Amino acid sequence: MNLDRVLAIAKKNLRSLRRDRRTFAFIFMVPFMMMLVFGYTFGGEVKNINVYIVNLDEGSTEGSLSWTIISELNSTDTVKIVHIYTAADAALDPVNLSIQKVRNAEVWGAIVFEKNFTKDAIWSIAFLHSGHTFVPSNMTLYLDGTNPNVAKAVSGSLSGALQKLLTTKYLLTSPVSIETDMVYGKDTKFIDFFAPGIMGLAGFLVTFMLTIVTFVRERSSSTLERLLTTPVRESEVVAGYAISFGLMALAQSTVILVTGVLLFNIQVEGSFLVALLVFFLLGVGSMGMGLMFSSVAKNELQAVQFIPLVFIPSILLAGIFWPLEAVPEFLRPISSFIPLTYAVDGARSVMIRGWGVEQIWVQIVILTLFALAMLLLSTYMLKRRK
Amino acid sequence: MAKDSGRAERKASVYAVKTDKLRKEFDGLVAVDDLNLSVMRGILYGMIGPNGSGKTTTIKMLMGIQRPTKGTGSILGECIPVKDNIQKIGYMPQEMAVYYDLSIHENLELFAELYSVKKEDFQRREKELLEMVDLVERKDDAVSKLSGGMKHRVSLACTLVHEPEVLFLDEPTVGVDPELRAGFWEYFGELKERGKTIIMTTHYMDEAVRCDVVGMMRAGRLIAEGAPDEILARTSTDNLEDAFLFYSREGKA
Repeated sequence: MNLDRVLAIAKKNLRSLRRDRRTFAFIFMVPFMMMLVFGYTFGGEVKNINVYIVNLDEGSTEGSLSWTIISELNSTDTVKIVHIYTAADAALDPVNLSIQKVRNAEVWGAIVFEKNFTKDAIWSIAFLHSGHTFVPSNMTLYLDGTNPNVAKAVSGSLSGALQKLLTTKYLLTSPVSIETDMVYGKDTKFIDFFAPGIMGLAGFLVTFMLTIVTFVRERSSSTLERLLTTPVRESEVVAGYAISFGLMALAQSTVILVTGVLLFNIQVEGSFLVALLVFFLLGVGSMGMGLMFSSVAKNELQAVQFIPLVFIPSILLAGIFWPLEAVPEFLRPISSFIPLTYAVDGARSVMIRGWGVEQIWVQIVILTLFALAMLLLSTYMLKRRK
Repeated sequence: MAKDSGRAERKASVYAVKTDKLRKEFDGLVAVDDLNLSVMRGILYGMIGPNGSGKTTTIKMLMGIQRPTKGTGSILGECIPVKDNIQKIGYMPQEMAVYYDLSIHENLELFAELYSVKKEDFQRREKELLEMVDLVERKDDAVSKLSGGMKHRVSLACTLVHEPEVLFLDEPTVGVDPELRAGFWEYFGELKERGKTIIMTTHYMDEAVRCDVVGMMRAGRLIAEGAPDEILARTSTDNLEDAFLFYSREGKA
């Protein structure tokens, strides 16, 4: 293998990208946009969930516990109270009206405090203090469970407000407490979990797509044919492509990381260089895979049809947004055949757990084998086309 | 045995190109029909014939782009697909086959690097070639911004950048204006003077007259071959087009 010729091919690809401004923008804007969109959508907690409140509570001599809970709810930004009905609105049939609002999907939930809420609650607390049976007081939460995250946030917020009231005003605590000591990921946010996934996904897909399109263009414009009449060998063309597209995957990962760190303050506990090594190997492998697919396609249109075929399993089964344990058992073998699974797992361990090469060597070995296999197969496919 | 093969090689090396019953079929359709072609070194050989007569397929087989169905061929005494002599061969395909998003300079540099042309040699070659194809001023422009004829000229320059000994030019003058075409022919003449062999295909019969030897192809076969004057005399015609028609009719009869 002649290094000068390999570098000449790599230089040609990088120069082409530099001149093709739209593609250049695509390469860097796609991961940037992905990070922005995913970051802002999933980056923080669920906020400003619209709810109705129906407070029919008549209170007691000690005041009204329902209003304390409402004011606590109001102080958080998880729920946004659209309207509060009170006993004065009885003529409007506020409970049914609010349930209807939930049914019409105008709000996510309706919290109803019954007439004797405070009285029942105070009785219950008094009973508890005296060691008698607990009599629950009435508060009903009508929820639209379409989005489990939203439903969980509303009920969590309500429980939180109630718990705070019981702890501060009545000194009631749970008889058992769980002490949690995070071994890894002390302040991990959801964005920290999926940022390595987005880095891998962007690198994998963009490299794959670009290789497919570039190679089909090389074939349809006969430049590939011409290249192979020069002293350059098939393996040198593949190696040149691997270097240029691998570098591109590195640049993309850096864009995502910088965006993540600057805008969303994501964690990088370990060495970013080790994470980059993972993405470089993935980029080289996906380039080889794109090259193989492109040899089957006759034109660019046929080539892009392969994209969903690769995209859908990658996004769903590689552990980007949810852990592999959440993937149904019968689909898990597919996950183990997706190289992105190992890249995301490796990069996540580096960025959140702070692991190094010695701990993620299995992932590195698998990705290296994947890259080598793809390079060899794509060289074979290039040779076969004669 | 070794003695025999050595002798055969020496014999073959008199020729720049030689084919022996070279044949190409596409799904049973014969594109090149047991072609026996012999091109001596240092001449300008013109392959003429209508579309589909097998000119381009012959060149592609010689260049190793397509695998022959049967038969064999050699370039500078080495059997195809050529490996050892690849550095000495230049190929200009019919399609532009240059990188549109690279500049002229970048295209030339790429091909120079692939052929391991030394940097200082490249600078000299680039200057010479850009003058020949009249694109000195456009050196740093992206090829996509050039006209069709200019792109063709870039393609020719890329073929010549490593100073090959044997040149395969597939329709090199298509889309080139008459003035520049004359310039090309002058340059081909110079290359020949320097001992280079040029094998080209062309549609322009008036151009083919300038070749040392013309091979007329029809339906994958060589129907006539010889110096243009010789062919005209043999057919008692005054142009190669009529001569071609003469041989075509003769072949059909």
